[in-house]
Amino acid sequence: MKKYAPFVLLAILIAFPLVVQNSYYQHLLILVLMWVVIGSGWNMIAGYTGQVSFGDAAFFGTGAYTAGLIASKLGLSAWWGMAFGGFTAMAVAFPFGWICFRLRGAYFALASLALNEICRHIATIWEDLTEGMAGILIMPTFLSKIPYYYIALALAVLSVVMVQIVMNSKWGYYFLSIREDQDAAESLGIDTHHYKMISLNIAAFLTGMAGSLFMNYMGFIDPEVVFSLHDISIMAILVGIVGGVGTVYGPVVGAFVMVAVHEFFRTGFFGFFKGLAGLTGSEFLIVVAKYIGQAHVLGFGILVVVVILVLPNGIVGDWNKIIRKLVPMKNKGVAT
Amino acid sequence: MKKFVIIFSCILFFMGAMLGSASAADTIKVGIVLPLTGKLAKFGEIENKSFLMALDEINAAGGVNGKKIELIIEDTTGKPDVGRSAIEKLITQDKVPVIGGGYSSSVTWATIAVAQQNKVPFLVNTGSADKITEQGWEYIFRLNPPVSEYPGGFASFVKAVATDLKTVAILHENSLFGQKGSKKFVKQAEALGMKVLMKEGYEAGAIDFKPLLVKVKSKKPDLVYMISYIMDASLLMRQAKELNFNPKLFVGGAAGFTLPEFEKNAGKATEFVYSATLWTPSVPYPGAKDYYDKFMAKYNTPTEYHGAEAYAAMYVIADALKRAKSLTPQDIRDSLAATDMMTAFGPVKFISYDKKAQQNKLPTFLVQWIDGKLETVWPKAVSTKAYVYPVPKWNQR
Amino acid sequence: MEVFLQTLVAGILKGGLYSLIGMGMSMIMGVMKIINLAHGQLMMVAMYVTFACFHFLGLDPYLGLFVAMPALFLLGCLIQKYTLNPLMEVESILPENQVLMTVGIGMVLTEIARFIFTSDYKSVQTSYSGATFFIGETSFSVALVIAFFIAVLFTLIMFWFLTKTDIGRSIRATAQDKDAALLMGVDSKRITIITFGLGSALVAAAGTLLLPVYYLFPDIGGPFTRKAFVITILGGLGSTVGAIFGGITLGLAEAFGATYIGMAFDDMIGLIIFILVLLFLPGGFKRLTKI
Repeated sequence: MKKYAPFVLLAILIAFPLVVQNSYYQHLLILVLMWVVIGSGWNMIAGYTGQVSFGDAAFFGTGAYTAGLIASKLGLSAWWGMAFGGFTAMAVAFPFGWICFRLRGAYFALASLALNEICRHIATIWEDLTEGMAGILIMPTFLSKIPYYYIALALAVLSVVMVQIVMNSKWGYYFLSIREDQDAAESLGIDTHHYKMISLNIAAFLTGMAGSLFMNYMGFIDPEVVFSLHDISIMAILVGIVGGVGTVYGPVVGAFVMVAVHEFFRTGFFGFFKGLAGLTGSEFLIVVAKYIGQAHVLGFGILVVVVILVLPNGIVGDWNKIIRKLVPMKNKGVAT
Repeated sequence: MKKFVIIFSCILFFMGAMLGSASAADTIKVGIVLPLTGKLAKFGEIENKSFLMALDEINAAGGVNGKKIELIIEDTTGKPDVGRSAIEKLITQDKVPVIGGGYSSSVTWATIAVAQQNKVPFLVNTGSADKITEQGWEYIFRLNPPVSEYPGGFASFVKAVATDLKTVAILHENSLFGQKGSKKFVKQAEALGMKVLMKEGYEAGAIDFKPLLVKVKSKKPDLVYMISYIMDASLLMRQAKELNFNPKLFVGGAAGFTLPEFEKNAGKATEFVYSATLWTPSVPYPGAKDYYDKFMAKYNTPTEYHGAEAYAAMYVIADALKRAKSLTPQDIRDSLAATDMMTAFGPVKFISYDKKAQQNKLPTFLVQWIDGKLETVWPKAVSTKAYVYPVPKWNQR
Repeated sequence: MEVFLQTLVAGILKGGLYSLIGMGMSMIMGVMKIINLAHGQLMMVAMYVTFACFHFLGLDPYLGLFVAMPALFLLGCLIQKYTLNPLMEVESILPENQVLMTVGIGMVLTEIARFIFTSDYKSVQTSYSGATFFIGETSFSVALVIAFFIAVLFTLIMFWFLTKTDIGRSIRATAQDKDAALLMGVDSKRITIITFGLGSALVAAAGTLLLPVYYLFPDIGGPFTRKAFVITILGGLGSTVGAIFGGITLGLAEAFGATYIGMAFDDMIGLIIFILVLLFLPGGFKRLTKI
């Protein structure tokens, strides 16, 4: 059963836009797929190689601006960004990793956070190139969501498969050994700097691709959107940890949960409380509805705190633990 | 147990979704996108209240052709990408035939493209980047003047009164409004025969403007033109006073300089500071003062030009709905294009000029803080108090 | 010359506040080896406490120090005890879970502040908020000068506390070698709780001193968190004297950057210095001063 689950999921995802015509749900699922790509990238460098990055937005933004600038400066289709976005993100990752991989643990995390902020400032100040805060607007190529959906799906599948292949190769073992004990890995003759660079560049490539997709799909970027510490870098980390650090399908689950939770709170449980308040006319419920609509960041924050405390390895990582909690003891033998 | 939990949550979910979208069929839905949370929530809230106030008045007066208007207000959190999700939801889920709001230029800019592509009319009432109406998009209308026209009132003031201003220093926040507005002002200042000594941006929220102000001071400009948000504006003025920096004029480019909080936070340092503005309660439009008083009475906080824009926008939308042949987006667009009415924010008529299309043209005013009160001083015909010029030095104020 | 002097003064005065912000972070990072990404948010909470005291009780912000610091000490202790310490016992793949936890805590604090006080800008206007005095052509803001001296005072107190008292020595011992300290009979859990409390109280002092010359809204914390870790890395983990140097260096770098390069580069300069120090002077100024 477990063996076929990914294929079943893939089949459902392929069929989804044909069954659900509502473009709002399609939109949400495109976001989910985009976050799968970013989350997989983060998972590669942080989850498998143990180098927690707080600067994913630097790669994401570079990818997005690559697509945007190709469209606005060169007058070509922004889809060319998909071809180059991953590589320009690597061009940012390469010198950064080269210099900063001599730092370890929390220091590397801080350096990546600084990289994130520096990129944002450059994009804001360099008005001649990036239009500054005015951002770049392109008209989306397709009115329908379906083409974007399948492109995003292809990218998501690509990133999940890529992570799986890499992790089953020799590289994967090196990555894990660096995560578990860098000094031991080094003493065994593994060139840790080299393999950390490989891991970071794979992550940057995936994240940059996601950035290009974002530009093409959203049609609008500005420095605060794509280089955002909170909305991109930290969200990427949340996707990773909520889903499960160091698991192939963690980012898939994490992306789904985070986008759903975000939308859930933003719309006030999809208007549940507003609707209930409308039906009953209760003054109290109207107030509740108003607060819930405003509480989505609070919801995020609480979710983070709870997940880290209760499920430190994420939903996929602690799946067995969840099952144990949910399924009563006596059924345990039968269930497994 | 597990199954039960899943099924139960599914039921709850769909019930919620259905309740949320369930509403009476005899209302006309109008979508509004505003930043109700996040950094811009303060002004989003003022606009929200103004929309609701206008809505209550319109519905109390019988609604539109016997139907009540229902507002579906979506929170953009002030972020362009969330704004796009919000407007997608309004168009595809709620199927609203007309949309208003937008607030900041970047969110507006990102959302109108969706409206245009889906052929749903969008009445912009605050986003002020020039390019919003320069795309030739026939579904986009704008009520407020673009940022390049904000200093219009100031230009005529310089020509008529402050003819001795020869040099200018421009400070602006690094936002769309600041970056674009400052560029336009450079051109305008040069057209007025002024020499631009410096133009510098800063990141909103700086703690200390003194290094910047010292630099400006050492260049001795006659005029300091600032495009800043309230708190930056307050700090700039406070610290300029602390440095005893005395150019001939301090002028703010709307935004933060006209709000009550500016005076509350900067106190004495606001004295005699000029600002361009689009609206004050004392503008000579019918209903302007009325709107201010009603807002004060209802919500017990003062309102300002963003609120007036929202209030007027609601009336414009209602008027367009009233005249529309049918309630399809296409017909509402046509009737919006034919708008010609008077609102609390001034006359509204969507015309094309220069590169702009479907843009409402409004005069702008010059206001000055005198004795802690915001007085309209230019054009003379509508002034509430005589302007103070030349401005005395800080130690004589 | 006038420009140079004024910039120098602005940088040093701002640097005094920065040192206070950095000192708390420095202690926490020194002892627990985690980055507290909720540091700026804790400062925001302290500022709201002071603001509430001023607004509702009419308490002067400087007296507000005596409310805000104990309140934040308590809050810091609770956070450490109930959210960060339990993580030490939890099996997880990434040691950075505690850092991520502070991100979550920061979000929660910000949103709670927004619930209570809304997103509106608040400020505390006192008679000395805009007061200045001049030495030659150079202007000094009274409030910032006071803040500077209080910051120096706190540094001296902390220095005395860390070197001369039992708890202070235990904190330093834990920072140097946790296991050894444990073997020597130091209750490391209690020490981490006290350290986090002290760190929070110090940043509370910084927030309170900043309030009369600045303003307040719920999202104010983020940039200050960033400044705090830059200062900490500059000064060296766990070093109070280092934090003073780090703070003033950052203050000066920002001020001179703003005057001679451009105000827009203000933030970036700090971050670039930060990366340079990480790479070329790991350990920060502590390595040079040894305290």
